[in-house]
Amino acid sequence: MNTEVNVRLIVTQAVLWFLLGAGAVSAGYRFLRGLGTATALNDLTPWGLWIGFDVVSGVALAAGGFVIAAVVHVFHLHRFHGIVRPAILTAFLGYAAVVVGLLADLGRPWNIWRMIVYWQPTSPLFEVGWCVMLYLSVLTLEFAPVVFEGLQWNRLYRLLRAFTLPLVVVGIALSTLHQSSLGSLFLINPERIHPLWYSPLLPLLFFVSAVGLGLATVVVEGVITSWLYRREAEWDVLPALLRAASIVLSLFLLLRLGDLAVRGSLRYLVEGSWWPMLFLLEVLLSVVVPVLLFTLPSFRSNRKALAAGAFLVVFGFVVNRATVAGISHVARTGFAYFPSLPELLVSLGIVALAALVFLFFVERLRVWEEPPQPAGHLRPAAHDPLSGLYVRAPWLGAPQRAAIACLAGGVLTAALLEAGVANGSQPRPNPVAPPRSVSALRIPRVAAPGNRLVLVLPSSDAEPQPQALQRATLIDGNRAGRWVLFEHEAHQQRLGGNLSCGRCHHFNLPLERGTSCGRCHRDMYRSTDTFSHDRHTAALGANGSCSRCHRSEGEKTRATATPCRECHEREVSRNAEIAVSPTTVAGVAPGYVKAMHGLCVTCHTKHEAAATPAREPYLSRCPACHREISDTGREMRVREGTVLLSSIAP
Amino acid sequence: MKSFAILTDTTRCIGCEQCVVACKQLNATGEDAPWPWQGSPNDLSSTRWTTIVRGPHGRPVRVHCRHCLEPACASACPVGALHTTPQGAVAYDPTICLGCRYCMIACPFRFTRYEWESNTPRVRKCILCYDRLVSGEISQPACTAACPTKATIFGERDALLLEARRRIEANPHRYIHHIWGEHEVGGTSVLYISDVDLATAGWPTYLRKSSYPALTRPAMHLVPPTFVTVAAAMAGLSWVIGRRQKLAQGEPPAELAATTDNPEEKEKL
Repeated sequence: MNTEVNVRLIVTQAVLWFLLGAGAVSAGYRFLRGLGTATALNDLTPWGLWIGFDVVSGVALAAGGFVIAAVVHVFHLHRFHGIVRPAILTAFLGYAAVVVGLLADLGRPWNIWRMIVYWQPTSPLFEVGWCVMLYLSVLTLEFAPVVFEGLQWNRLYRLLRAFTLPLVVVGIALSTLHQSSLGSLFLINPERIHPLWYSPLLPLLFFVSAVGLGLATVVVEGVITSWLYRREAEWDVLPALLRAASIVLSLFLLLRLGDLAVRGSLRYLVEGSWWPMLFLLEVLLSVVVPVLLFTLPSFRSNRKALAAGAFLVVFGFVVNRATVAGISHVARTGFAYFPSLPELLVSLGIVALAALVFLFFVERLRVWEEPPQPAGHLRPAAHDPLSGLYVRAPWLGAPQRAAIACLAGGVLTAALLEAGVANGSQPRPNPVAPPRSVSALRIPRVAAPGNRLVLVLPSSDAEPQPQALQRATLIDGNRAGRWVLFEHEAHQQRLGGNLSCGRCHHFNLPLERGTSCGRCHRDMYRSTDTFSHDRHTAALGANGSCSRCHRSEGEKTRATATPCRECHEREVSRNAEIAVSPTTVAGVAPGYVKAMHGLCVTCHTKHEAAATPAREPYLSRCPACHREISDTGREMRVREGTVLLSSIAP
Repeated sequence: MKSFAILTDTTRCIGCEQCVVACKQLNATGEDAPWPWQGSPNDLSSTRWTTIVRGPHGRPVRVHCRHCLEPACASACPVGALHTTPQGAVAYDPTICLGCRYCMIACPFRFTRYEWESNTPRVRKCILCYDRLVSGEISQPACTAACPTKATIFGERDALLLEARRRIEANPHRYIHHIWGEHEVGGTSVLYISDVDLATAGWPTYLRKSSYPALTRPAMHLVPPTFVTVAAAMAGLSWVIGRRQKLAQGEPPAELAATTDNPEEKEKL
């Protein structure tokens, strides 16, 4: 039992477990509530953080695996041998994280296997999917010997070691393909991507930068783990990797600027917006500053400067990938996007999970030459030298710490999400406001069963008898900011008594707390109706105005409404009626066309035919409205039906 | 093979939205529940596959999926859930869809919509009533059948192109001499003629004349040769460099001793 306590490792692990708990709850929220509520994605921004960071950046960050494998097994540079295993493990976990992130982002993740069956070679995503699937298998086989070695399964270990070179070669070929194909993904829509980032060379740029980024990631991973475990990083070989990276990155910059120059896109560097700024910042962070740090004599022997350069490369290329995959789309769609809390937490949770698995493996297997010391206990078990027994159990060991941190993260996230802080967005109309209780007068109806509720305003002159007042409910049932008196009991009875709750209160549907009034009283709210109930209500004085049109007692339906012409005397002449054909949807007013043709046109035709004075426009003639139609000629006949090739003379 | 196509003549459109209602009824899209980010409740949405937009000219223009002859969405779909039917309609099969939404990234018109509120979300767009037309249930799409002024008509693409040209020639002063959809994005099955510029009503000026899948095609054609070349080059390099090291040292390559971590193997060597 070690006595040393590694506090920075304990704190890091606690943070990782906390993020894992938060991410797990967020992922649950995403699958329960759907993408629309959990994320800030929408129809014009269908890809966000999960694609831009977890998938596109994730794959690029995991490029270290194939680069180091090539260095050692293809170029036989055996002094780098010590960093092969951590690089392969990082790549394996990186790709596994990509797949987990993708599963969160996919709308129908249970269909992911169909890519194996339904081939679609025109799609770069199909190619990326296949390559990631195959390369993840290759990485599993490349890392499996380390596990077999730890388990002392020597026969399996030797068997897989024999296949090292073929696996490495296939892995490099697959990586070349999908690293570049991630760039091909964005070739199809130049209209979405800012021209400083769009290029027909995106596949090549993505591949070259992935090589440079892979080299830098290996250094970053070495620096972080050496800090965590207080061990010496492999500084004997890391500077050589960064020198190689500076060559690759310079090549990348030349390609990129050359491509912009050849296609005449350099002019976008002087456009008056913040896109050129982002471009320059990205190029400085990802290439210029790191290359200077890696090559200038005053920096290149300074480990801190080298490490800083490697971190900058990683950060700069995450920005690069995110910009190609999403940020620069804002320039074209004009739709700003910022990830929602569940999106951020799921991404962080996936990173935390990968990091925890990494720590698990390095502490138990020979990923490095010497497995590092685990974190230890905050207060170790006390050892009694005389009896040789442990007399006191360790306090807050690793499992307990993990459980507490994970639970804390999960509970805090659940609370935040439940409080609605974190929602991506909600469809309108908004959830129903809580009902309000008011005093109202209940008057039995004369003509129809049931009661009528009347709201008693404080200023009413006719003060009603206090005993006639009853509690009634006011609801904003259409979530339109207007309150109506609502008879809950009457609704309940009409819809089927105690078993009818679910007809309005279906809490299980996403985004819904109750059915809006308009769902059932739909004749009042049809967007395609000629008659706008809302407009009439508003013009006549909101809630109190119902009785101005629905004068009789009883149900307020279309049938009990006052005919239009009683108010609109001047617009509608006497005895004019709209012809309602049997095909008209019951209870729904005819649309504008039927209204014009059934009402205005009929009457005008009658008057014009009888030569009684009729005013312009002469509606009996079609061209009065439909200017393009001549009364004679074939155009009218063409309008009658479908035009087929055979019906038109050449 | 009879091809499906639609010609919309905006000079005849009175903006009555009968097409919208007919589409919603036939396809049972349900009622609109617009999201806060939607510009207007009348925008295209998962429940509104066609809609009427009005540009600065105030003229009503119907928009819906263009049914490109070479659709970017179908080319992007990794499983072929979005696919071109033999009749030219771009149809959708939700049973194999992954929900990757690459089609929404790919569509140059940005007309593809998604059921964001659902836990089993589908991609939603006009499918030209393809299934019902093929089964013979209807003889033309709901929208064209419902149009009271025949501003939007259904037919074969060649016939509609002829008809569009005939109308423009018969009334050269009224129409803009352009058939939208004849050449844009490599041709679409949904054609427009108009007396106003449609740049703000579904035919943005940035659209290319050539097809969008062609932008990805060269890269995708390079995939198999790249795989073979890289694999062969890496295997060859490994062999050559390994052999040179071996010859230089005149003994078994150092790699074996260096790369073996298993103590058992080290002993054997």
